[in-house]
Amino acid sequence: MFRFFAIRVLRAVLTVALVVTFAFIVLRLSGDPARSIMGDDASPEAMTAFRREWGLDQPLWMQYFHYFAAIFEGELGRSMRGGVPALDLVLERIPATLMLTLPAFLMKLAIGIPAGVYAALYRDSVIDRAVMVTAVAGYTVPSFVLGLVLVQLLAIWVAWLPTGGTGGLQHLILPIITLGVGGAAVLARFVRSAMLEVLGQPYIRAASAKGIPWASVVRGHALPNAAIPTVTIVGFMVGNLIAGSVVVESVFSWPGVGNLLVVSVAARDLAVVQSILLLVAAAMVFSNLIVDFLYGVLDPRLANGNTGGDH
Amino acid sequence: MTANILELSGISRSYSTRQGLFGKRVPVRAVDDVSLSLQEGQTLALVGESGSGKSTTGRIALGLERPNSGHVLFRGSELPPADTPAWRRMRAQMQMIYQDPLAALDRRLPILDQTREPLDIHDVGPASERNDKALAMLDAVGLNAGHAASLPSQLSGGQRQRAVLARALIMKPSLLVCDEPVSALDVSIQAQVVNLLMDLQRDLQLSLLFISHDLKVVRQVSQRMAVMYLGRIVEYGETRLLLSNSVHPYTRALISAVPVAGRRTRERIILTGEPPNPAARPAGCAFHPRCPIARSECANVSPAFTTLPDGRSVACHAVDGHPPIEEVGV
Amino acid sequence: MDMMEKVSETALTKPKITKQRRLPVSVILSLLWTGVVVLVAVLANHIAPYQYTALDLPNRLASPFHPKHLLGTDELGRDVLSRLIFSVRISVLVALGATVISACFGTAMGFAAAHFRGRVEQSILMLADFQAAMPFLILSLSVLAFFGNALPLFIGLMGLYGWERYARIARGLAIAASAQGYAGAVRQLGASPSLVYLRHILPNISSTLIVSMTLTFPEIILMESSLSFLGLGVQPPMTSLGNMVGYGREYMTRAPWIMFAPAGLIVMTTLSISLLGDWLRDRLEKGLQ
Repeated sequence: MFRFFAIRVLRAVLTVALVVTFAFIVLRLSGDPARSIMGDDASPEAMTAFRREWGLDQPLWMQYFHYFAAIFEGELGRSMRGGVPALDLVLERIPATLMLTLPAFLMKLAIGIPAGVYAALYRDSVIDRAVMVTAVAGYTVPSFVLGLVLVQLLAIWVAWLPTGGTGGLQHLILPIITLGVGGAAVLARFVRSAMLEVLGQPYIRAASAKGIPWASVVRGHALPNAAIPTVTIVGFMVGNLIAGSVVVESVFSWPGVGNLLVVSVAARDLAVVQSILLLVAAAMVFSNLIVDFLYGVLDPRLANGNTGGDH
Repeated sequence: MTANILELSGISRSYSTRQGLFGKRVPVRAVDDVSLSLQEGQTLALVGESGSGKSTTGRIALGLERPNSGHVLFRGSELPPADTPAWRRMRAQMQMIYQDPLAALDRRLPILDQTREPLDIHDVGPASERNDKALAMLDAVGLNAGHAASLPSQLSGGQRQRAVLARALIMKPSLLVCDEPVSALDVSIQAQVVNLLMDLQRDLQLSLLFISHDLKVVRQVSQRMAVMYLGRIVEYGETRLLLSNSVHPYTRALISAVPVAGRRTRERIILTGEPPNPAARPAGCAFHPRCPIARSECANVSPAFTTLPDGRSVACHAVDGHPPIEEVGV
Repeated sequence: MDMMEKVSETALTKPKITKQRRLPVSVILSLLWTGVVVLVAVLANHIAPYQYTALDLPNRLASPFHPKHLLGTDELGRDVLSRLIFSVRISVLVALGATVISACFGTAMGFAAAHFRGRVEQSILMLADFQAAMPFLILSLSVLAFFGNALPLFIGLMGLYGWERYARIARGLAIAASAQGYAGAVRQLGASPSLVYLRHILPNISSTLIVSMTLTFPEIILMESSLSFLGLGVQPPMTSLGNMVGYGREYMTRAPWIMFAPAGLIVMTTLSISLLGDWLRDRLEKGLQ
């Protein structure tokens, strides 16, 4: 049990290190930082001085080490626009994003899971077909198209809701629906196939053949077992809370992390982009860890280590 | 006396597996100090339950796996390491046929292409003649041009095994390892394939290492046999002698389990206890927990080989004072 | 695992039941639509009524069914239909290039993992886990921020999308084929690794890989159009479907057709290819059972 979690934590740390390395490599590959910051017309003396000041004259592995050390201390550089610490800039946007992603996340769970379970239990029924068609539509319609269609219908033609921006609660409705519908469709499809997989297992047939009422079989055996794969995708959605609304924020001009990211990418504000990247990685890794712990709870085989197999 | 084409001396092979998903790694001894030799043109049978290490021994004999210790000598010289060019060239001299011929064939290629593939790999003869050679080989194993053009899935199990055999023999190897070659086939087909194998052995002067658990087939094809239990050889000698007059209690139990037509009453030795598990190998003689005549020393001391006057070797503590049992016949 | 591999192996080797069934209507329509899209992409030069950059200043923001412009014009008087046709070409080019890169790269990584095992396999699996865990949109946005968005680089970046799926498939099937299958048998005949992987394993797993490609292709179109919509993908004067939506949206009150024509095209195309992919996958799974 301890070993299982120790491995997971180690892997989480490794993943974060991998993202930091990725950021370092990309940063170094993207050009000479001295030139890009000082400009092309800086004098050679000034360049040398700048390089010495920022440690750019040191061997690459030293720079890599310093880079790691700085990130470890929470020093992620300053934004090129305004000179404020990049991390602060990102952190102050997080509440705005969570205002969209959290309700949308709840909406995905509230619609996606029941719809998927229902579709699986009543396979090939009208409802199953409706869920499947909606699910296919849900992931083939890009979120910006869905958002713009909603804007056209509800904000422009009938003018019930604002087209975007901030303000009262009515500004939240369209972005949340846009985010929630697509995710709910993906989740419903996933839950349905997880349920169908479990329902096809011999132990389910054995349980119902023993005369256990179908409802109890579903509640006692099918749902807990289908929950195991579902936890993974829900965990991914949790990790995506911080930056899962990039496109939707852009559609509705919502001042969240996603909008900041898009603006910073366009302006090549590298410190901000890198801060967001690391925050998202940290969120993803953290939610993955939670998923792994949940796995340990949901799937006793993993924790006790008596599956017998290796791979 | 003819020369030995294959000699295994003291080979051992262990794998490490985990107990449980995240448990400790424990070494599992699949093959433990096995020595065998196969004479040119003869057949040596390797007999045992599943998990006894007989397939691993076969793979080591072919150089597909390296033993952790011990030597494999093919015509007096050691095999080159696997997947080196020298090892690949050796494949022309030693080949293998498998328990499941459908798995061993590429489902997407016609039989003819697969049969000529060794010629392409080893670049034998002009490319234009390879198809004719392959067709001739297929003819020798009893497959016609129609079979040659079909895909593996269009053939029956016996025909597939013939195709595998043709592919293995087209390079005219001198050693053929047969890993349970007929156990996946219908009983009616088994005899045909066994007879074909023996005809080809005679025509091509093949030496066979025949891995099987079917003592009837073993009796038909082999001159010598070795019985394996949990990675060790327990009895090794002439097939005729072992089957008519076995000494080791495990061999006797195996033989008594073979049904014999026309004989209603025969003493059957029913083995009790757990079936062998290589991951939990008992101390002392590995067979002692299931052995009907186990003594106290069997639980502690691993028995050494004793060579009997008739030339066979047996690893059993009870072997000296033990009266040979009556002929059971297979 | 031995047992499992055996089971999957026998499942793979059962003869395919090829029943002559009629194609579902949705699949026929999807095929037709996909064919039209491909034709439009290939023949863009010949069928577009105007150059996609040609201005018609007197007829700015003309509505659809204008005598000279079937789908109207945008704010600079550029013909929406012509822009749509060239956008299809760029979007299909990006998605196709990216899908091919992703499939080749992923399969090669999977084969490398299966062939070398040990540390190589561990690192490839770790990279694949990392790729699967990070939202691709964020990763690609960071790369775009650092490197800019030249078209070849953009295609290469999109080509990293989904490689881990091919890597997992290729690794799993190659290991199964080597352990006790045809690949192990061919190796035993003396074949070199390149022959084993390219002549035997690759053709045998190609149907699974192709299904995977049809399922990844629409996702790449969506990713490309999202990035282009954000103004960070395909750059003007070049045009892609997402980029048209992004710029058209500023005129959505006055001229919604500029935006909804490409939006509809994206949805139709991803929908068709997804339906095709699902159908192919079901066929493949049924064939294997």
